[in-house]
Amino acid sequence: MGVINIKKREIESEIFTGSMADISFLLIIYFMVTSVFSATRGLDFALPEDNNETPEIKQEDSIDVFVQPGGDLQLDGNPMAKEQIADKLLPYIMETLRENPKKPVILRTDPDATYGNMIYVFDILRTPIEDGGIKIETISIPTQREISNIWTMLGVAQ
Amino acid sequence: MAVIRGRQKKSGGEIFTASMADIVFLLIVFFVLTYNTEVDRTQVDLPETWVRKNIPKKAAVISISSPDQGEVVRVSTGEEMSLPVSTNEEVITFASTVVAQDPAKEFIIKADADVHYQKVDAVLDALKQSKVKVIFLLSDQKTVDG
Repeated sequence: MGVINIKKREIESEIFTGSMADISFLLIIYFMVTSVFSATRGLDFALPEDNNETPEIKQEDSIDVFVQPGGDLQLDGNPMAKEQIADKLLPYIMETLRENPKKPVILRTDPDATYGNMIYVFDILRTPIEDGGIKIETISIPTQREISNIWTMLGVAQ
Repeated sequence: MAVIRGRQKKSGGEIFTASMADIVFLLIVFFVLTYNTEVDRTQVDLPETWVRKNIPKKAAVISISSPDQGEVVRVSTGEEMSLPVSTNEEVITFASTVVAQDPAKEFIIKADADVHYQKVDAVLDALKQSKVKVIFLLSDQKTVDG
């Protein structure tokens, strides 16, 4: 019996990918335009849990850091120029904490100072101290209203 | 003068594009993973700090624009676009509502470095009155030059 060999014509099966590049680039452009490399880091601070007890405040039990307009400081009432803060603030606080490690640091800021002035000092206070385990346990940032309340409680006219 | 016309052999000039798809999809995957929707478009010059901690996504945002732009306060729950507020009472109302829904909600203060501290103090006070537990002060990375 004779076998007839018929040459089958091959059909080219192909997925058309010509538009894939267009779609891909369109997606890339969309993400590039709408995506934001936002700043997602910063300084944190936790606010104290609310309890109805009024804490007893003694001025000598804390380290008072007062940021003035322009960025200068008053550290426990003593003036400190802005240029000296980076070198002298932490050593002073370490020295004080050696005597009493529980002393909180109270960071006050003059309303006319800038936010940047305050953050500059707060950043230094948050810098880890590498000195025999001494560290600032509490940094308090009272608001003007709270400071006014404290002065009123103490009977001090501002 | 006789001109010799030789049939030029066409050379198949082709740019190899097979790896383009890989690169393009790699870029798409990168953008999908790092994609962040911006809830507050206030342009601020953030203060710079050495110490910086990661801020949780979806934290509520309170932004204060620069003095040039009027120190406008805007608030956002972290999921919707920010809206301007004009009084401190509005900030308290906003923060109290957010805290009532989620008592552990973190708040971000995104303020320009040149903003008067009085404005930031008012916002801080409003957040304290609203029983907010954790506040983040958004900052840029400080560099040796800066």
